[in-house]
Amino acid sequence: MSYLIDNNEGARYLLMGNESIVRGALEAGVKVAAGYPGTPSSEIIESLSKVGKEMDIYVEWSVNEKVAMEVAAAGSFAGLRSLCAMKQNGVNVASDFLLHLAGSGTRAGMVIVPCDDPGALSSVNEGESRYFARLVEIPLLEPGDFQEAKDMAKWAFELSEELRQIVMLRSVTRMSHASGNVVFGKLPVSDVHAEFKCDGFVLDPMEGIMTSAPVDYRHTQQQEKLNKAREIFEDCPFNTYDGPDSPELLIITSSACTLYSREAISILGLKDRVGLLKLGTTWPLPPKLLKKYLSMTDRIMIVEEVLPFLEENVKILAAEMAPEIGVKTFYGKNDGKIPMVGELNPDIVVNAIAQTLGIDYKAMPDEYANKAQGVAMAGTPSRELTFCPGCPHRASFWSIHNALELDGRKGFVCGDIGCYTLAILPCGFSSLKTTHSMGSGTGIASGFGKLGGFGFDQPILSVCGDSTFFHTGISALVNAVHHSSNFTMVILDNSGTAMTGFQPHPGLKVNALGDEVPSIDIEEVCRALGARVEVRDPFDLEETRKTINQLIEDKQGVNVLILRQICALSPEKKGKKKYEMTIDEEICLGENCGCNRVCTRIFRCPGLVWDKEKEVTRIDEVICTGCGVCADICPAGAIKKSSVLKEVA
Amino acid sequence: MRIFGPNELLEDVVKKDLCIGCGACIYLCPYFRSYMGKTAMLFPCTLTEGRCWAYCPKTEVDLDDLSKRFFDRPYDGDPLGFHGSVKISRAGSKFGTGSFQAGGTVSALMSFALNKGYIDAAVLTDRDGILPVPRLVTDPDDVLRCSCSKYTASPTLSALNQAIKEGYNHIGVVATPCQGLAIAKMRSNPTRIDDFTDPVGLVVGLFCTWALDFRAFDAFISERIDVDKITKVNIPPPPAEIMEIYTTDGKQEIPLDEIRKLVPDTCSYCIDMTSEFSDISVGVLEGRPDMNTIIVRTKRGQDIVDEAEKEGFLVLDDIPEENLEHLMWAANNKKKRALIKAEEDGLINTNQEDKRSYLRLNPEALKNIVA
Repeated sequence: MSYLIDNNEGARYLLMGNESIVRGALEAGVKVAAGYPGTPSSEIIESLSKVGKEMDIYVEWSVNEKVAMEVAAAGSFAGLRSLCAMKQNGVNVASDFLLHLAGSGTRAGMVIVPCDDPGALSSVNEGESRYFARLVEIPLLEPGDFQEAKDMAKWAFELSEELRQIVMLRSVTRMSHASGNVVFGKLPVSDVHAEFKCDGFVLDPMEGIMTSAPVDYRHTQQQEKLNKAREIFEDCPFNTYDGPDSPELLIITSSACTLYSREAISILGLKDRVGLLKLGTTWPLPPKLLKKYLSMTDRIMIVEEVLPFLEENVKILAAEMAPEIGVKTFYGKNDGKIPMVGELNPDIVVNAIAQTLGIDYKAMPDEYANKAQGVAMAGTPSRELTFCPGCPHRASFWSIHNALELDGRKGFVCGDIGCYTLAILPCGFSSLKTTHSMGSGTGIASGFGKLGGFGFDQPILSVCGDSTFFHTGISALVNAVHHSSNFTMVILDNSGTAMTGFQPHPGLKVNALGDEVPSIDIEEVCRALGARVEVRDPFDLEETRKTINQLIEDKQGVNVLILRQICALSPEKKGKKKYEMTIDEEICLGENCGCNRVCTRIFRCPGLVWDKEKEVTRIDEVICTGCGVCADICPAGAIKKSSVLKEVA
Repeated sequence: MRIFGPNELLEDVVKKDLCIGCGACIYLCPYFRSYMGKTAMLFPCTLTEGRCWAYCPKTEVDLDDLSKRFFDRPYDGDPLGFHGSVKISRAGSKFGTGSFQAGGTVSALMSFALNKGYIDAAVLTDRDGILPVPRLVTDPDDVLRCSCSKYTASPTLSALNQAIKEGYNHIGVVATPCQGLAIAKMRSNPTRIDDFTDPVGLVVGLFCTWALDFRAFDAFISERIDVDKITKVNIPPPPAEIMEIYTTDGKQEIPLDEIRKLVPDTCSYCIDMTSEFSDISVGVLEGRPDMNTIIVRTKRGQDIVDEAEKEGFLVLDDIPEENLEHLMWAANNKKKRALIKAEEDGLINTNQEDKRSYLRLNPEALKNIVA
């Protein structure tokens, strides 16, 4: 049994923030949960899927975030508490539905949990989900510690039900992925019957039709719900103040920045001079509460990550209240004290406070910083991002790169989101020349492929993972085929949503709950759409390269090349070597003409190590996965492979 | 002479668009490969000395050095290069008949050399459609499959590099002048490999005025003819001024003026029409589509020609005086044009330290040619 469903009230566990949110949802009796994998959000649906059977919850990894939100909304409409989780940019994908859902309202409690990634630790953006709450006019909650993550998640369902409106519970990487103590409450006894009531008066929120029209009526209703939320937030226990009655400086903060601010005040010993207003309800802001604390002092600092969401909203209120509370001086993004890019940390907040109050304190003295940097430069080996040993992507991009270089017509690859995004770096031979959102490489390629009339004659490839194919790649392919675009889409099929931890997708025979489900054959789908389809094993380098060269000679239509090879870290493959790899040191050319270390200088699988003393390559047997590909790139035949398994899964 | 590496090869040849795609750098290492008649560098290489630069016919060549090494005398600018006899020839009855070009001299010689063990393998140029494809042949009966000129630049020497890797050590090559020059550079062991032995047993050079860029030729032809139906391409000796394309549907003629537009610029820097660094050179004979012109340059070339004639593989005759005169006039013209162009570009006998020459040759020879 998972500790997440321990029903001992008062039990204390060390939980990751995402698990804490899950526990809160379980205590709220969530019945439907859906999401699309994306760091730092994935553990939410992952954890729910593990207890789904026992707790009688329907959990799914949906095809994309929009569909996940739709699936969860159906639960709410039928009277079941529901949740959908996604990373920050997933909200962009779901936003069209979110806008309309906010207009129609919800029934049973429904919570959307976006996990933002300030500093883009596992993203290619540091997008903000908070603005969506303001944009589509729904309440926004932000937990400031791990206990609160659980308590607030539970409360979010109650709030949603009270308002009949979806509630956003926003986390960030350091909240989702750090851990803290959480005291459990009770799990509810489950006894629900799902039914969608839709035969009542059309405008009835509980028995009418679920739609955002008529807009003037529904939009008015929606804003009344927001006003009600504002009222509720005035007395919300998640908004707390810690500090003197008349502080020299008032810090207003939320989310993980609460912890940084608290630590900064403590480091500087300013408990008696600086007040900390920590807000759990960040949209809409409760005006009376704000008025009370803004009145305490004339100097206000807003501490938050990335964009000045809180800062702008507080400033608007302060401007409106100015006749009563007086003119305030604000510190934060606008005056440059708090950076608008990247994550915050206690040091940044310490420096901001020290500067503002004229305190002579540097979080990290220059001398120390210089020394630390010197030691780091001299003592630590440089380690760039790379594909894992035995990763099929390395082999795929080797062939893609070689095919394009041979072709010599300045061909390029449009990519999108997955482990293969790394192919913008030398580990993927710098093959990717565009990378944006999920599925966008194929959409962009579809556009490039229509520019022939303007003299465009470069070969175009797009790459797309198997999960990404179902997410949004498929619609780009439909567009490309329909408009007779001309390019080759390479589907890097490694049999799972590998980057985020092998979550199932529609191409697989299993769902989030472990049930057997029908799988959808990518090859057949592409063929049915009218593309010319080839399937190759990327570990067969020469065949793959030849196929790519043939496909990019095509002057018309869309080709699809499926490069199918299971991820080296997948549970089926892990620990099973197909080949035992060895190096014949007599044959290895090393740095001489004829090789110049192609395996360790260019191919650079981490399983290959350059032995500086012997001046030969050796195999790191601990991490080598035995894929055998390096034997085929060795010009001298010094890398040998011998079969160790008759059959490999 | 100082040897440079792949980065200088890119600078001296690739960036100046001088690469003719001869294949001399292909398969020496994992970095250079040929595709559709063009040489590509797949990945950067950091070596400061490499065989790629040293063997390339378009990097610096010291003609005196090479001439001394192979012909025991400095380069003198003779229009036909160092040579012994110049005759006319055709395949003999022993060789039989087949689909070859002009007199079939080259096919007959290679077949004979393989048959008699003068060479253990032959590096030839086959074709796939109109794409020239290097071919390593060990069976004399396979020589004819590769007969006929291709007229497009071919990475033939990639097959020589592969043959060497496979351990052949008396390899015969049919080479264009640029390919012949690369072979000569390679045989002079420029990178001072300790256990170097000359793997080449015979070089039969082809006369050449230019070669076509494959992609350009392919695009040009594809607009006019179904490439899959092409059986043979021929440029009959002057004064015809046409290219003949034989297909399963019949013959088409294309004016040479249109074809010349597809010649890469690098050919205009070439001073060699008759493959001067070969054992035997063979070309067409003006006014006689059934015969070849044959120039013998080395002792081993002469031995093979003598034997082939004796055994009925080759029929030889004297060359008419006016043919020889015109051949010399044409060959000298090519030299002169190319040298003037290269000199204008500052590529001859460069003495600046940061600039490498395209060609080095003694001033007298240079003067003789340009005069």
